[in-house]
Amino acid sequence: MTWVDVSGATVRFSRAPVLDEVNLQVSRGEVVAVLGPSGCGKTTLLRAIAGHLPLDAGRVSVGDRVLSTPARHIRPEKRGVGWVPQEASLFPHLTVRENIAYGLRAGAGSSARAGEVAHLVGLGELLDRGPHQLSGGQGQRVALARALAPRPDLLLLDEPFAALDRKLRAALRVDVVELLRNQHTTALLVTHDQEEALSLADRVAVMRDGKVLQVGTPREVYENPVDRWTADFIGETVELPGKLSGTRLETPIGVLRALHAVGDGDVRVILRPEWLRLSGDTGVAGRVQSVQYAGHDALVQVRTENGLDLTARTAAPFFPSPGDSVTVSVHRSVLAYRS
Amino acid sequence: MTVQMKRSGAASRVGRPPLGLAATGLAVAALAVIPLAYLIVRSAEAGSSAAAALLRPRVIELLMNSVMLAAAVGAACLVLGTASGWVLARTRLPLRAAWLVLATLPLAVPSYLAAYGWLVAVPTLSGFWPSWLVLTMACTPYVTLPVATALRSSSGQLEAVARSLGRAPLHVFATVTWPRIAPSALAGVLIAVLYSLSDFGAVAMLRFQTLTWGIHSAYSSSFDRTLAALLSVVLVLLAVVVVVVERRLRRQVPTAPSRSPAPTVPLRWSLTPLLAALVAVPVLGVAIPMAGLGTRLFQAETLRQVDVEGLLVATGSTLALGAAAAVLTVLLSLPVATLAARYSGRLVGLVESLSFVGLALPGIVVGLSLVFFTLAVAPALYQGVAALVFAYAVLFLPRAVGSVRAGLALVPGRLLDVSRSLGVGSIRSWIRVTVPLALPSLGVGACLVAISTAKELPATLLLRPTGISTLATELWARTEVAEFGAAAPYAAMLVLVAAVPALLLSRGATSRRELP
Repeated sequence: MTWVDVSGATVRFSRAPVLDEVNLQVSRGEVVAVLGPSGCGKTTLLRAIAGHLPLDAGRVSVGDRVLSTPARHIRPEKRGVGWVPQEASLFPHLTVRENIAYGLRAGAGSSARAGEVAHLVGLGELLDRGPHQLSGGQGQRVALARALAPRPDLLLLDEPFAALDRKLRAALRVDVVELLRNQHTTALLVTHDQEEALSLADRVAVMRDGKVLQVGTPREVYENPVDRWTADFIGETVELPGKLSGTRLETPIGVLRALHAVGDGDVRVILRPEWLRLSGDTGVAGRVQSVQYAGHDALVQVRTENGLDLTARTAAPFFPSPGDSVTVSVHRSVLAYRS
Repeated sequence: MTVQMKRSGAASRVGRPPLGLAATGLAVAALAVIPLAYLIVRSAEAGSSAAAALLRPRVIELLMNSVMLAAAVGAACLVLGTASGWVLARTRLPLRAAWLVLATLPLAVPSYLAAYGWLVAVPTLSGFWPSWLVLTMACTPYVTLPVATALRSSSGQLEAVARSLGRAPLHVFATVTWPRIAPSALAGVLIAVLYSLSDFGAVAMLRFQTLTWGIHSAYSSSFDRTLAALLSVVLVLLAVVVVVVERRLRRQVPTAPSRSPAPTVPLRWSLTPLLAALVAVPVLGVAIPMAGLGTRLFQAETLRQVDVEGLLVATGSTLALGAAAAVLTVLLSLPVATLAARYSGRLVGLVESLSFVGLALPGIVVGLSLVFFTLAVAPALYQGVAALVFAYAVLFLPRAVGSVRAGLALVPGRLLDVSRSLGVGSIRSWIRVTVPLALPSLGVGACLVAISTAKELPATLLLRPTGISTLATELWARTEVAEFGAAAPYAAMLVLVAAVPALLLSRGATSRRELP
């Protein structure tokens, strides 16, 4: 059942649309990541949904309420849409408790609710601190608690982890998504970090130049991207020339199977480095050029006998060394796009 | 990303300002230009007789005196200020922070107070050169401070490179250093020249007859109001010409961003002339006048004659007028500052520049035009407190707008967005978020206006209701009849009254809440 419905949403700042007929449907309780490079319009999308920007065309609705059309613009404070912005944006003159209770109706219940949500995000004992006494991660937890306190119909998170260091980011985002799931909160999470989007979201929407290119589960967008740009943006790729007939694909590293029949003729073949196997019995012979060690796995540069440079990902603990002879094969269907 | 950064960035908001806010801003701007507009209307009524009145040799003389004085002060400030600024920024000066305070100090002393101090010390002073000296010392900090800032923020490596290319130090200064500090220095000279053109107290005390003196005497002695209006227009035109010329001369030089601080040179004998400039300004502008005031104040004769009641009454009315002007001006500045801090566009630019008209309007002109305006439009307000407070608001609105805008800019737009997303409406968001965060800056703005009001002389002289006098007018009245001893307590109290809010200001600046 569709809960959040964005259809044909368009926003223009001067002439060029920053959001170009964006369509996105989110079910109740779902966490959807909006993934795109800087400047693709993802923050603009959030601001339009939150009501900080009017729509030039299209429609945004949550539940059975229409929030935005070009003719009708419900004010941000009437939307029931929570928002956690990029930088910690706590009110500097209020304590943690006052920050969290800010959006609650003043009264006996508000302080209790603030305490409850603070415990939820694991900050129960920091309620009387000022924002300047918090670390970056704590600040973002408070911002999240503040947005959750009024029980929004939809929560918007705009790169909430971007300002944190890598390790803290990894820990916090797992916590946050678990919390959102437990609370059955419907959430849109904007990020430019592929790993974050793929690991956290129920579904991922890939945006580029104000358009949504693909919406799917993390697995769908990673293993079956709609085009070469998306494939390249979502993760590392190996590109080869190829000739397709049906799903039979002739490539310089042998005959492979294509996932889709996109029409016979010359195609660009795309596969992920981990789809390549270096230790098979059959395949193309090659020699390891270099190894990019990353602990849990490694990217191995291989030059094949017929002069192709390929990148393969191999899992720990058995890494080849530069100079080793290997046999390159592919162990699954690959992607083919018309060139 | 640049588009997004601008959109979601701290200060700027998307779209046009709300209608109500824009209308209030425009209304304030309209209030600020009332004096100027009315003055022009009034002068136009003079019609063909205006030319004849203006071409009288007496008027030409006043005009020439004003121009000469302003030019001489501007030139002296440029030389002294650039030298002082360079020493402050580029030499290994012991106690640099203390020197910086000393270099700033003359700004706290109103020109007529310095003139009074000098007159106490040397009663025979009068004419061009003493006026030039007093005004130069009062205005040099306007050049010193921006020059020092510009020198400190621009890389000193360029000078080193030029030297290693075989250029002599003076040549390097002219070809490398000067082009980069010229915009700051010229902006300071502009302020100095406008200050000299509009100064009334110092030149009147030192009996040098400039346009402001002419306006005052045409108005008060002969009640020739048309001549006073015409002279005012001439004075405003002169100010406009100065502003335009400065705009023409100033070319923004692209700055070379530098990570390395500018290297400093050790003090040595060859720098003596520059050091002399740094020392001379606070000595001649503050120390000698204050010493004159002090010695006169503590003479037995003075102390015996102190009119305690008069002093207290004048202090009370000065404080009351300062408070009233501060409240009104800060209130008026709020819509303008909100527009300027949060929105952009042609309307916002218009409102902002109109509200800055007060910067170029001499106090005596604002006073005179409000006399005309109240007499013609609202006689009930003539010589009322309301008109006087309004004159202060017009004159000091730019100061209030400046600090209030800086305060509002500290409150990121995204905080208001967050507040609204939490279900709090725009006006209540403003009250719950913006006001508490910007309050220190509102206080600073109010203090600046109160200090300026306490020191204001010419507009107060023209507009004050009968029976109400401030410390400044009492000081002036007594000096005019050469009662230097009787004037001393008022001068001392004025220094105190102006110093207290200044103290509050510096404390407020250090305890200001830090934003994340």
